[in-house]
Amino acid sequence: MLNALKWWWGILLAFSLLACLRLFAPLPFVNEVLLFSIYTIGCNFLLGRVGFISFGQPAYLAVGAYAAAFYLYYFGTNPYVAILLGIVAGVIVSLAVGPLFVRLRSDYFALVNLALTVIVFYLMQKVLAGITKGDNGLWFLANIASTPLLDISRADQFFIFALLVAVAIWAFYKYLDDTLYGACCLATKVNEDKLHFLGYSNFRIRLLAFVIANTTTALAGAMYAIYLGLVSPEIASPARAADPVVVTILGGAGTLYGPLVGALAYTGMKDVISKLIGNWELFIGFLLVFIMLAGEKGIWGTLEPRLTKALFRKRDVASATKGRASR
Amino acid sequence: MIDAQLLISAVIFGLSIGAIFFLMAIGLSLCFGLMRIISLDQMLYYSLGAYITYSVSVASGSIALGVLGGMVVAGLASFAVERLILRRIYDRDIAFTMITSFGVLIGGVGVIKYFWGLVPRPVQIPLSSQVTIAGTEVPVYRLMLIAISLLVYGGLWLFLNRTIIGKAIRAGIESIEHVEGLGINVYRLFTVTFIIAGSLSGLAGGLYAPLIMVDPQMGLDVLAFVFMVVIIGGLGSIKGTLVSAFLVGQVVSLGSLIYAPLAQMAPFAVMLLILLIRPTGLYGTAFLKR
Amino acid sequence: MSATLVVKDLMVSYGESKVLFDIALTVDACQVVACVGRNGAGKTTLLKTIAGFLKPISGSVTSNDMSLVGRASYDVARMGIKYVPQDKKVFSDLTVRENLELGSYATHDYDWQRVTSYFPKLTTLMDRKAGYLSGGERQMLMIGRAILGSPKLLLIDEPTEGLAPSIVTQLKEVFRELSRKTALVIVEQNLPLVCAIAEKVYAIKDGRIVAELTDRDAIKPAVCERYL
Repeated sequence: MLNALKWWWGILLAFSLLACLRLFAPLPFVNEVLLFSIYTIGCNFLLGRVGFISFGQPAYLAVGAYAAAFYLYYFGTNPYVAILLGIVAGVIVSLAVGPLFVRLRSDYFALVNLALTVIVFYLMQKVLAGITKGDNGLWFLANIASTPLLDISRADQFFIFALLVAVAIWAFYKYLDDTLYGACCLATKVNEDKLHFLGYSNFRIRLLAFVIANTTTALAGAMYAIYLGLVSPEIASPARAADPVVVTILGGAGTLYGPLVGALAYTGMKDVISKLIGNWELFIGFLLVFIMLAGEKGIWGTLEPRLTKALFRKRDVASATKGRASR
Repeated sequence: MIDAQLLISAVIFGLSIGAIFFLMAIGLSLCFGLMRIISLDQMLYYSLGAYITYSVSVASGSIALGVLGGMVVAGLASFAVERLILRRIYDRDIAFTMITSFGVLIGGVGVIKYFWGLVPRPVQIPLSSQVTIAGTEVPVYRLMLIAISLLVYGGLWLFLNRTIIGKAIRAGIESIEHVEGLGINVYRLFTVTFIIAGSLSGLAGGLYAPLIMVDPQMGLDVLAFVFMVVIIGGLGSIKGTLVSAFLVGQVVSLGSLIYAPLAQMAPFAVMLLILLIRPTGLYGTAFLKR
Repeated sequence: MSATLVVKDLMVSYGESKVLFDIALTVDACQVVACVGRNGAGKTTLLKTIAGFLKPISGSVTSNDMSLVGRASYDVARMGIKYVPQDKKVFSDLTVRENLELGSYATHDYDWQRVTSYFPKLTTLMDRKAGYLSGGERQMLMIGRAILGSPKLLLIDEPTEGLAPSIVTQLKEVFRELSRKTALVIVEQNLPLVCAIAEKVYAIKDGRIVAELTDRDAIKPAVCERYL
């Protein structure tokens, strides 16, 4: 019981804090942060655990989003089914392209994913314009049925849903880190030859990581679709392709809470900076360079060791005083 | 059946697009070959080249002067970035250099927005005349683009094969460590290469400016295409970049003849196909360690 | 007169794992010094550290009282301390001539006569791409490239590994000739060669120097073999 609590407390604390944020910040902001962090965690996993940098996450985001959108626009009304379909589509697409992509060297991997994003973008904008309505996008807000228990067609209840999903996803990724598989992922990043000699298949490890990460991204896509009630090719826009990478770096690549902190910082700063100086690119570009040159730890990667240190010191003091009091 | 005139003009259009692609991608390819970095900031020098061309041509009326100015400013900017930022990251891994240079790129886009604002700027076509080739009207400017790209390729070839610095760069593409071991300051080679790469990207921007609208996002817009050209050719191979640029140019141009939406997508499909057969591109070699 | 190379208390590590401990050695002008030891003992690491490719965590490396630690490797090479790696990687896309040109460019020494007098064979191969050379020819080119600029010290890593006996004999003569003007540090497993030319032998084991043989009479294959 105690162990379970110890394992969970970080995640629960993080998301309780986020839930508290709901009291101060506007609802769209917290929803945006949650969705963005779910969107980013896949990229974070690929970069931090497997050493693959992907400039093509929007492709998988769009896959999930369009799967949900097609269902809601043409076939059904249940948003939960739509999300499920988004996940399934994510698995199918990543299984289809994964075997080709994960064989590539990490530099080619980054570029090929970007290329996929471009393909998906034009596919949705031009080639399949008959079904996707091209640049106008699919509007289906009115089609989403209210669901019992948790009505995710409403923004406030969607927030609770997104929060629960995020907790589940974080627990899943934390669990992955604890398993042998998580160790293998890190090992392919550090030295694939050695791992190969140990009898593991780098290909399978990477493929699984690829599918896991991109399915999470597709899930984020489906959730975006429900939340916005509209999907347009803009979601796969190559111009936004680097956002998840930027957020990953901002938060701290490979850290569990990096994507959350990164998404919070990115979304927050974007609002503030755009209003203040109106030149968001200038700011984020130089911030990125600064983080990279300063040791690429990102916000959470820098804060975490200090926080734990501060916390543990406090706890030591606390237990010491408690000991004295009981005497 | 597609008629011959349409076909000829499409092929020439494709060649001119290929010429631009070559100039855009050659900087990225050179930097990867020698320094083992993926220099996304080349797209910044490309935009910069286009903007300087716009400003100078508006001020002086001469586009040639503008393109020249664009090359110079792009070269200077790349020199500054190399000295201030990239110099510190040469020994880091590829993904790291990619993210850092991306930071430079979007930071630079911010700078461009600051100076020129968000409004797209038009640049006049310097040569609007046409010549007739095999009964087809062909814009002279497009022919000029093809000629310039071939000249640049020839010039690069001469530089790499006939000058001692060029030979040192070729040697460095094989092994940085051995070049250093001979007593050659490789960082100076890096700087020279980076300035050449940046100026060529600037040249690409300046030459392309009359055919498009110059806007702050232009570098990001072509990023995927440039990537693709470099991948198909094989990262680090100059010849590969040339071949692949013209190949992609033809695919875009002939593809759009068959079915317009194909123009943007077909090249990427071609790329996936080529990677399926050769994971390191047409002329790429297996990974060369530093 | 100060020695051509003095290494003191040298410690080197790759990340967390230490590879060299308290290395101390001296090489006098025109002396031929050999380092023997098993694979993985740290011999290559030692040469690379001296040549400036690796940064030591502590200790000093000096040449004629000038410190080499912290200098870039090209700077070390310019001071006349040239490293000839064991991988026999010539610039395969460049011709033999171009390979030599690069050596000349770095040192401003265009006297190829000296190179071709040691390795007459290279004259006939000038316009061949170095990638098409045999192992022995590559080694000739690597050494030929390195002796341009008349270095005061050559660090040669496993020069005879994988070469035909006739070429090894030729290299032996070349090393003898070279040592009239240049000090040599040779890492080598070929004990007969070592014993024929070395004036001093350091035996390295697990990153430490375990023996130093300075007596010509003591430098015998049977003695050195103990440290392999």
